[in-house]
Amino acid sequence: MASEDGCGGGNPPGDAAAAPPVWNAAPAAGAGCGDLEEDLRFQCCVCLELLYKPVVIACGHMSCFWCVHNAMHIIRESHCAVCRQPYKHFPSICQLLHHLLIKLEPVEYKRREKEVLEDEKRVDTYSPQIIEFLNSKSNNCEIDGENRPEESNSRPPQEVTSDGNTINGHPKKVKLEDVSCALCKELLYQPAVLNCGHVYCMSCLSSLDDGALKCQVCGGLHPGDFPNVCLDLDHFIEDYFPAEYDLRREKIKLLKGECNQGSSSGTSCTKEGRGRPTNKENRAHQDDDLSDVHIGVGCDSCGMYPIRGKRYKCKDCTELIGFDLCEECYNTESKLPGRFNQHHTPDHRMELDHSALFNRLMRLQGIHEEGPGEIIIEGAFVAPDAVVHIIADDHEEIEDNGEDDHLL
Amino acid sequence: MARGENNTGAHGSGNVPPPATAASTAAGTAAASGKQQARGAGAEGQSVVRRLQSELMALMMGGDPGVSAFPEGDNIFSWVGTIAGSAATAYEGTSYRLSLAFPGEYPYKPPKVRFETPCFHPNVDAHGNICLDILQDKWSSAYDVRTILLSIQSLLGEPNNDSPLNTQAAALWPNQDEFRKMVEKLYKPTA
Repeated sequence: MASEDGCGGGNPPGDAAAAPPVWNAAPAAGAGCGDLEEDLRFQCCVCLELLYKPVVIACGHMSCFWCVHNAMHIIRESHCAVCRQPYKHFPSICQLLHHLLIKLEPVEYKRREKEVLEDEKRVDTYSPQIIEFLNSKSNNCEIDGENRPEESNSRPPQEVTSDGNTINGHPKKVKLEDVSCALCKELLYQPAVLNCGHVYCMSCLSSLDDGALKCQVCGGLHPGDFPNVCLDLDHFIEDYFPAEYDLRREKIKLLKGECNQGSSSGTSCTKEGRGRPTNKENRAHQDDDLSDVHIGVGCDSCGMYPIRGKRYKCKDCTELIGFDLCEECYNTESKLPGRFNQHHTPDHRMELDHSALFNRLMRLQGIHEEGPGEIIIEGAFVAPDAVVHIIADDHEEIEDNGEDDHLL
Repeated sequence: MARGENNTGAHGSGNVPPPATAASTAAGTAAASGKQQARGAGAEGQSVVRRLQSELMALMMGGDPGVSAFPEGDNIFSWVGTIAGSAATAYEGTSYRLSLAFPGEYPYKPPKVRFETPCFHPNVDAHGNICLDILQDKWSSAYDVRTILLSIQSLLGEPNNDSPLNTQAAALWPNQDEFRKMVEKLYKPTA
């Protein structure tokens, strides 16, 4: 009988799937703090090009705006392409990373911009063209003074690091203030990115977490799981500002007295435990019932995708992609212009959308044909303009199924 | 935001009606009815081509032992891959050709991968179809040709005998000597 070869016969092939993809190793390849080696670290794992308009998911992994959106599931929760952690909200572009990449790779980033714009023209749907407009930094200068946590009694980072901004006498492309925490204003240490795209030290974020995680810059409530450290950004900062990063590490160790997070290799320094487990469980229960899902429609304010529950649709936005809000954001009167460069303004008229009938048809068809589990595979990954085709196909099949019913 | 709403017809040109029930994945229970739309070089065509070119570059630069892949002719959406059976498995010394057909939605949808060389394996059927979760519901847009081929290579040595496509192979698996004989007997390497 068995195996001189020693291979585990019972092992499901899923084991292979669980193995982390290769490019996780990429940061190791980025040698030192050279400015030229960054493209590996900031390579998108989906398009394999330089990240463009990066968004960071709660698990801490990042991809381009479109690479995340296109991979999101149109019916159910989505899963990170790298670690499979589920998420339900399309995060906003991380401005800090966006500006960081403009500085690090100006030429390549410009090329990506052209390339992506061409693609966007083709489908006539655009990513935010003026990113600053999305979640403005400037309107919060007043708040900053008041909200500094205990770390702020130490000296500002500039004093520590007048040397930190040069390499061999040449100015570094990236300055300390480009990678500073939105709260403590010091160099980011173990940065985590909220759904709104703003970046905090993990320690600062933890000090905020009293039930609801609210961004101190834009005021947005962070939905979903407590974010993990964005390790690629963390490693970049550690390599780029080694001395300053060490200082920060020491200081936070002292302040917090917690050594377990100290090592830079602390993979996905997980805070989920203390996140909001109750919410999580509630959501898991909802997942079986698809009747309130608005397939392929996302909230332009909080990013919930797809919208569950009531959906409010703008009657005045003319963009192809439309403008929609979930019930919660509708009730809080979001003032955001939209996530796809829509020109939505608060005086536009919103109406409750009644597409429940269509959803029910989809659901019936799904259950009838393959059972609800298979819907996932069906709709799994759809490019922005592909939905129309799928919808058309599904209608045909619904009719077919109807006929089958008659025959039976 | 609603993907593609209201744009009926605007992008209709690239739309090829999907085959009624593409029988490509005769993969037992886990078979998704492969309603992938072969839109080829449609709206997303350019980015798909770019991604496939990047992968090709990486494969040519990288060079993993035992796996290789290359586009078939001029069509970047259709590749031929080769995997070598790993040492210390029943497949040692064998080499298999596979075909990879990429949909227009790649990498958001997986390619269709088939064995072209006959392969005696619990999770491969007589037509070369493969039952592997990462090619179906566990697909992730971060997978690529390289990880697919490496996964299939490791599948050879570590089959999932719980949901076999080839029940004979699954039954024979515990007897590795006999299994090895069948692998050799049915092995017809392509020139």
